[in-house]
Amino acid sequence: MSVSGSESAASANKPKYSKFTQQELPACKPLLTPGIVIGAFSLIGIIFVPIGLASLSASQEIVELIDRYDEECVTASDKIGFIQDSKANKACTRKITVPKPMKGPIHVYYQLENFYQNHRRYVQSRSDQQLRDKDYKDPKAVAKACDPEATTGDGSLIVPCGLIAWSLFNDTYAFSVNKKSVTVNKKDIAWASDKNSKFGSNVFPVNFQKGGLIGGGNLNDKLPLSEQEDLIVWMRTAALPTFRKLYGRIETDIMASDEITVVIQNNYNTYSFGGTKAVVLSTASWIGGKNNFIGVAYVAVGGICLLLAMGFVVLYVVKPRALGDPAYLSWNKEAAEYSH
Amino acid sequence: PGPFRPSRRDQPDPSASERELHEGGEYRAVAVGEPSPEFAGNAVRTAKYSALTFLPRNLFEQFRRLSYVYFLAITVLNQLPQVAVFGRGASVLPLAFVLFVTAVKDAYEDIRRHRSDRRENNRLAAVLAPQTAGEYLPKKWKHIRVGDVVRVASNETLPADMVLLATSDPTGLAHVQTVNLDGETNLKTRYAKQETQLSFSHDGHVAGMLHCERPNRNIYGFQANLEIDGKRVSLGPSNIVLRGCELKNTTWAIGVVVYAGKETKVMLNNSGPPSKRSRLETQLNRETVILSIMLIGMCITASVLAGIWLLNHQRELEFTQFFREKDYTTGKNYNYYGIGMQIFVTFLMAVIVYQVIIPISLYISMELVRLGQAYFMGADNDLYDESSRSRFQCRALNINEDLGQIKYVFSDKTGTLTENKMEFMCASIHGVDYSSGKPACGSSVVVDDLLWTPKMAVRTDPQLLKLLNNDSSNEEAKLVLEFFLALAACNTIVPLVLDTRDPKQKLIDYQGESPDEQALAYAAASYGIVLVERTSGYVVIDVLGDRQRFDILGLHEFDSDRKRMSVIVGCPDKTVKLYVKGADSSMFGIINKSLELDNVRATEAHLHKYSSLGLRTLVVGMRELSQPEFEEWQLAYEKASTAVLGRGNLLRSIAANVECNIHILGASGIEDKLQDGVPEAIESLRQAGMKVWILTGDKQETAISIGYSCKLLTNDMTQIVINNNSKESCKRSLEEALARTKEHRVASSIGSPYPVLASESSGTVLALIVDGNSLVYILETELQEELFKVATECSVVLCCRVAPLQKAGIVALIKNRTDDMTLAIGDGANDVSMIQMADVGVGINGQEGGQAVMASDFSMGQFRFLVPLLLVHGHWNYQRMGYMILYNFYKNATFVLVLFWYVLYTSFTLTTAITEWSSLLYTVLYTSLPTIVVGILDKDLSKSTLLAYPKLYGSGQRNEKYNLNLFVLNMLEALWQSLVVFYIPYFAYRQSTIGMSSLGDLWALASVIVVNMQLAMDIIRWNWIIHVFVWGTIAATVICLFVIDSIWVLPGYGAIYHIMGQGLFWLLLLIIVVTAMVPHFAIKAFSEHFVPSDIQIGREIEKFEALNQVLSVDSYYQ
Repeated sequence: MSVSGSESAASANKPKYSKFTQQELPACKPLLTPGIVIGAFSLIGIIFVPIGLASLSASQEIVELIDRYDEECVTASDKIGFIQDSKANKACTRKITVPKPMKGPIHVYYQLENFYQNHRRYVQSRSDQQLRDKDYKDPKAVAKACDPEATTGDGSLIVPCGLIAWSLFNDTYAFSVNKKSVTVNKKDIAWASDKNSKFGSNVFPVNFQKGGLIGGGNLNDKLPLSEQEDLIVWMRTAALPTFRKLYGRIETDIMASDEITVVIQNNYNTYSFGGTKAVVLSTASWIGGKNNFIGVAYVAVGGICLLLAMGFVVLYVVKPRALGDPAYLSWNKEAAEYSH
Repeated sequence: PGPFRPSRRDQPDPSASERELHEGGEYRAVAVGEPSPEFAGNAVRTAKYSALTFLPRNLFEQFRRLSYVYFLAITVLNQLPQVAVFGRGASVLPLAFVLFVTAVKDAYEDIRRHRSDRRENNRLAAVLAPQTAGEYLPKKWKHIRVGDVVRVASNETLPADMVLLATSDPTGLAHVQTVNLDGETNLKTRYAKQETQLSFSHDGHVAGMLHCERPNRNIYGFQANLEIDGKRVSLGPSNIVLRGCELKNTTWAIGVVVYAGKETKVMLNNSGPPSKRSRLETQLNRETVILSIMLIGMCITASVLAGIWLLNHQRELEFTQFFREKDYTTGKNYNYYGIGMQIFVTFLMAVIVYQVIIPISLYISMELVRLGQAYFMGADNDLYDESSRSRFQCRALNINEDLGQIKYVFSDKTGTLTENKMEFMCASIHGVDYSSGKPACGSSVVVDDLLWTPKMAVRTDPQLLKLLNNDSSNEEAKLVLEFFLALAACNTIVPLVLDTRDPKQKLIDYQGESPDEQALAYAAASYGIVLVERTSGYVVIDVLGDRQRFDILGLHEFDSDRKRMSVIVGCPDKTVKLYVKGADSSMFGIINKSLELDNVRATEAHLHKYSSLGLRTLVVGMRELSQPEFEEWQLAYEKASTAVLGRGNLLRSIAANVECNIHILGASGIEDKLQDGVPEAIESLRQAGMKVWILTGDKQETAISIGYSCKLLTNDMTQIVINNNSKESCKRSLEEALARTKEHRVASSIGSPYPVLASESSGTVLALIVDGNSLVYILETELQEELFKVATECSVVLCCRVAPLQKAGIVALIKNRTDDMTLAIGDGANDVSMIQMADVGVGINGQEGGQAVMASDFSMGQFRFLVPLLLVHGHWNYQRMGYMILYNFYKNATFVLVLFWYVLYTSFTLTTAITEWSSLLYTVLYTSLPTIVVGILDKDLSKSTLLAYPKLYGSGQRNEKYNLNLFVLNMLEALWQSLVVFYIPYFAYRQSTIGMSSLGDLWALASVIVVNMQLAMDIIRWNWIIHVFVWGTIAATVICLFVIDSIWVLPGYGAIYHIMGQGLFWLLLLIIVVTAMVPHFAIKAFSEHFVPSDIQIGREIEKFEALNQVLSVDSYYQ
């Protein structure tokens, strides 16, 4: 920063001319002319209404059977006592009549309500390192991640640790259609990415559900975590307090008016916090599960846009304005008003 | 010395001479030659920090910003284990980043200040070594103390304020240039007292005791006395030379330091750079408060609901799987402290989660945007000054957008509006107008075989030249010669002889207090009457090649009552002549009209012609004094010159006596050349709704004539002049003025609802002209209020003869009483305080040193650049910054609201479905770059449109781009969009297998696309850079989501891949974006067409101009 340096640069001090430095880069200057406004609204309407109708019809074609069983499956007055009693017979039989033919594969879900899998205490209580790495044994880090379900009473680590794994859903369903037993395929219910990378194929459950209170299902000590698909599904915490999780798939078709019998082992305690449980059978389509909302929304938004397009047509006709007329500049308007 | 002692020496400033030194006040005693450590040393310090204090002080400065304290509090909060929401490192990062960037910027600025301080403090000066006789040793400036005797050589800068003791001139005269002090480039004469001068020439040193007033800011006043050899000598402002001035035309001067370092007048007049804060930034605080209330509201809602939930489920908590109140290994509560505490912890956590609603990134974004805007302002070819080769510079980086909201422009005159180069244009001699000037090479004089050429040549009239050169016997030619002799002799110009590269050639540089006199002397020189030498007793003039000596027998200085000056000259032909020159108003009163009525009439007509051309006019006259007349005058003059009391009045009455019966020689027209484009610039600024005030140190007549030539004043304006010498009379004239403005307003308001238009159309615009003397009695007294009322009623205000601090006072007058933004522009050190006081200070890189530029926020080469600076860049900066701030509020609010809605479905436990990393990256990466780029590059209107319609500038003055309504609108849009972004997926995925991470990714992506689409919809000019950043940011967001979901250790591993594989995801994304944008689009389409702003019309004009022209041509042919 010597003075002589700046002097010698004085002749070069003039800013170099370029479209960039002069802020004159070629640019597109879109204006909301009546044509564009009406065109945009109409276009949205024209695209959205058909999409909405298609979604609606796709949703209509899905057959979905929901059977809530938590109330009926416990006849005892002390529901919590019953569910906590490990010796009680928890089997419960439910019958569902199929209203429409269902094409396989039919997805079997369990649905919980009022279960806050997104509760802050809950959602953070897991150790992803431990799930993948069998050598991950730092008690402090595990405790930090998983408390209050990190270690057993004698201080040895629990694998998998944390509240999420501890509260594994453990009701089981056995299906028969028209008295004929149907197998539920429980393979590949979890994401492939989870099985391959997130859950270790050499990590085995240790000390699981050995604590003072049993939170939910137990795990097979002989199977590595990467093959415990129910756990993997459960550990993908749900976004909302009412959620479904995939239980398995029934690969066969079921005809209309067939009767499905479900034998439920009603083990899971939702009674202590007022939650509900249901078993759900649903066919699949490109839109996912049965949900009319998306179709209705598309039709509604498309319709509103068409209305807006018409509204603007009327407005432009009623109150036209020449674009780019300097007479509309505020001072010109004032001057015009003053001269009148 | 000659027989006649120059009168000037013993007559200091009249106002000071009449003020007798009064005893008893607080005085400072200085022993000459004895450095005394009790007063401030001469080291100056403008830097804020030192290496040691930098960290604490800078942090302190930074944390004076409320927002930084807020972010610090949040960061600290997050470190508590119970409350921690984000990981430790992640939470500290944003604050640390902001602090670091700001600290680096501050450090860089301070290092530059340190450097200049060091340079200044380490300069060397020759200081008399104590206890020696006449041995001067070099000493650093910072070591000079009060009482030191300093020797300064020609062209050296004075290190401190000193009382002159002796100079190389035997009469004790010294010339100084006060450029750095008051901006005037001419030489000022200062005197050493005869007593000290003699004492010094006798024994080479001076001893004595000096009593002077305490340090003060008044650069024109000084009172002191010196006890020397038992006598008491009084000292005035003409005996002191001030720090920062340069010694000129004097081989050496010796003085004793009386004020040093921070107590010098120049430092006291530097009121120090106050830190300026832009208007938008101040307004932004209001919105920040609103957002804080929103934040607290949300936090309270979340925590209270959490408490209610806990209360309802109190009994179930122990066995609820997802809560697990107890740790069964210990049997104690785990992380649960009772409902009350739980509510409190939730509240704190909510503050952390929702903190982004007050956007921390906004502060970094604003700094970056300003940096970019500053780059483009500097790179603008239209702001580059070819003549001084200077670019536009942004010196303050935090008030760019204020340039778009200016309502008052305070301008210095000399060097700012004008080029500060007076030029002789035309003359009327004996009733003949000679104004057809041609550029001439000027005439040279041969002195000792060397060629002396005047430094500047003026345009000469060939006819006049011919007249002078051909027949000198002619009566007319004699008069012409007398005219130019008067120009050459009747002044206080000092010719300086400068060396040139050619050893045979010398340049004559005329130095003097009045640039007009300089111009006249150069004019005379160009016609061959060259002033060669001036001493206190005589002048040497080369009259058409013949060097003659004229004795200056007496000189009556210019004063503002007489408005003329005169010299009494003993000519070589033994006659005694009186030459007078002065303003026409004063001259026509003393001429002998009976003799030559035709001549007088013709001259009057010419004068009118000249002044209507905007020229500064002077009338020149002469009278030959008879011997008795001369003797009578001489007697009186000598008596008056030595009088102790009332000397000024006596001299004035003598002058008035002798200046009568003048024979008129002619008149001159001088142009103080306005800078290029000044009248047009002022017109544009006024069109744009700005009030232009001129504050000048010039005298009233000059100020008014400049007012005319730059079209600020016009003939149809009513002028109100306030020029008084006492408080009472000031009060009276202010009251009168106020009455007149009221009358005027009543008159103009009849029949017109638009006062502005009316005042322009009715043709009686008021112009206020205030004199600095009156301002002394008005500023900082209760009269201020009245001045303010009068001034705001007038469309033009001229302040003349104002001192530097008065300029600041005037700016403060407006700044403190209105909300209007003020801009001050000047080029001299005398403008520094005004530049610092105004909201925006602009410095002109002119002839007058760098003080104004150093103090300014922006600097540039020409006054006319103000127009593109304000109308174009200011407008752009304002609209960009205003939009950016609102947009940042909006985008963060949208995101926070999305987070908030989710909390309602997590039993109020502040879980976020969006990952921690996306939450932090949202402000840093997902949404920040497009707004910065748009803030730098987007233009609502092109330069040519903004210049063609200056009134478009009103958009900024009316706060159209940033106000509470727009803020509310933006918040409502944020509310709508957050609802859309959250609830469409919510309803679509209700009772489904959707996982938290997947839904979180959808929400994050949808929010990012929606807020970027909102920006995209508001961008006015899409160039390729903006395209890259807007679409690139959305792409970058997707990439980031992929990357985050590819980290196996995070719970969301693989979620984005999974959800993107579903058709529903894409359907949702489409409908979210469209539904979120429909209201914004509809409102925009409606308001742009049915209630268009001026800017909107301007955009349409730009787009359809070509088309409209074609149409109008068509209709013309039909």
